[in-house]
Amino acid sequence: MRDTTVAVRTTAVVWTVGVTAVLAGMPLMVRERLPDPLATHWGSGSRVPDGSMPLWAASLFPALIWLVTAGLTLGVLLRGRSTPHHPWTAATLLPTGIVLAGAQAALVRANLDRADWHEARQPTGWIVAILVAAVVAGVGAWFVTTRRSADTAAAGAHASGAPALDFPDGRRVAWFSRTANPWLRLVAAVTGLVAVGVLVAVVGGLADPGGLWAAFAGCAVASLSCALFSSVQAQVSERGLEVSFGPLGWPVRRWAPGDIDAARAEVRGPAQVGGWGYRVSGLGTTVMLRAGECLVIRPRGRRTDFAVSVDDAERGAALLNAVRAGR
Amino acid sequence: MLLSLDTTDTRPLHEQVAGAVRRAIAEGECAPGDRLPSARDLSAALDVNVNTVLRALRGLRDEGLLEFRRGRGVTVAEGARPHSGLQIRVRELVAEAARLGYSRTDLIDMIRGMP
Repeated sequence: MRDTTVAVRTTAVVWTVGVTAVLAGMPLMVRERLPDPLATHWGSGSRVPDGSMPLWAASLFPALIWLVTAGLTLGVLLRGRSTPHHPWTAATLLPTGIVLAGAQAALVRANLDRADWHEARQPTGWIVAILVAAVVAGVGAWFVTTRRSADTAAAGAHASGAPALDFPDGRRVAWFSRTANPWLRLVAAVTGLVAVGVLVAVVGGLADPGGLWAAFAGCAVASLSCALFSSVQAQVSERGLEVSFGPLGWPVRRWAPGDIDAARAEVRGPAQVGGWGYRVSGLGTTVMLRAGECLVIRPRGRRTDFAVSVDDAERGAALLNAVRAGR
Repeated sequence: MLLSLDTTDTRPLHEQVAGAVRRAIAEGECAPGDRLPSARDLSAALDVNVNTVLRALRGLRDEGLLEFRRGRGVTVAEGARPHSGLQIRVRELVAEAARLGYSRTDLIDMIRGMP
């Protein structure tokens, strides 16, 4: 596991440095054959350029964009403690690098051996090819890394042995746990307030409705989804696992004991699953309200897990395993 | 929190449910201020009628173990933990006395007669 982590991190760092070198170095290496300034922008549908940049800017600007993107992604990857469960880092770094490096190559090629930037023609074919390559690489990276992390997660589950709770016969046992995230609640309240304010302004004729309907819709959706995932309740009983969201306990997800292959507790953080709320990542689906203990189940016939961040997950998982074993 | 019902128990169901919650509080499964699962969830998980659960919860509120708050649901009252421990022991004492043939009045007399 340790070796994989080092390998993943090294690959990411080498890729970042390499793409930076290509982005900044390519125009400079062939500067004898390029006009200064370079054509850097073409209007849609027109073959004639409508924007230019000095040579130094054309070589530094994409490199800077790349360094910021890659820096943020790498920061998360390098700070993570041990397991490199970051499929989205690969799915971000690979296509972004391909798009930027490809665009830079197309740009240099379009400007190559032109006396003046106005003569450069739009490299449409190249742009299409680059976008296709980036999408293929992104999807490929996602599948490869998610498959690998799902396998390691499954291996981890078998290694930990997933204990079953021991309780006397003739007892009906139920486990309840609840987590709330006050910050999400605050965000829900603030965005809800903005949505209401915008609605009042539009309905009252105080403001021009134009783009404000979009603002209202955006804030309302943000408010509802934050409210929905501001708290989560999990319960384990003879009927299996039931996870319900929000203050109303709706929506609900249910698994009968027979629909669950294994249950365990695991420590997860928002950085591993891509943020707070209802997250789909290489680790499967995670309902992440806070960093720490999560109840993780592997639904029958699935390759990925479902996890929910609740306290006392270990006993919940143990009870679920006991129920599953037909107690 | 973990709640358990003894399926061989012959006491009325609402007493069993109240006993399970009392035990959970005494064992520190839920701390003062914690929210209890809704009556609907409790009834579904323990496979008990929701009115039976409500009756049990009302009984615990009258004992001072739970608080019903509008909008916040049912929460564990301050100082409920030692209180619930004492309640459990009193109940055990009454049950043990009944098994040995003493009525509650006999027990009260015994307690009064203590130095």
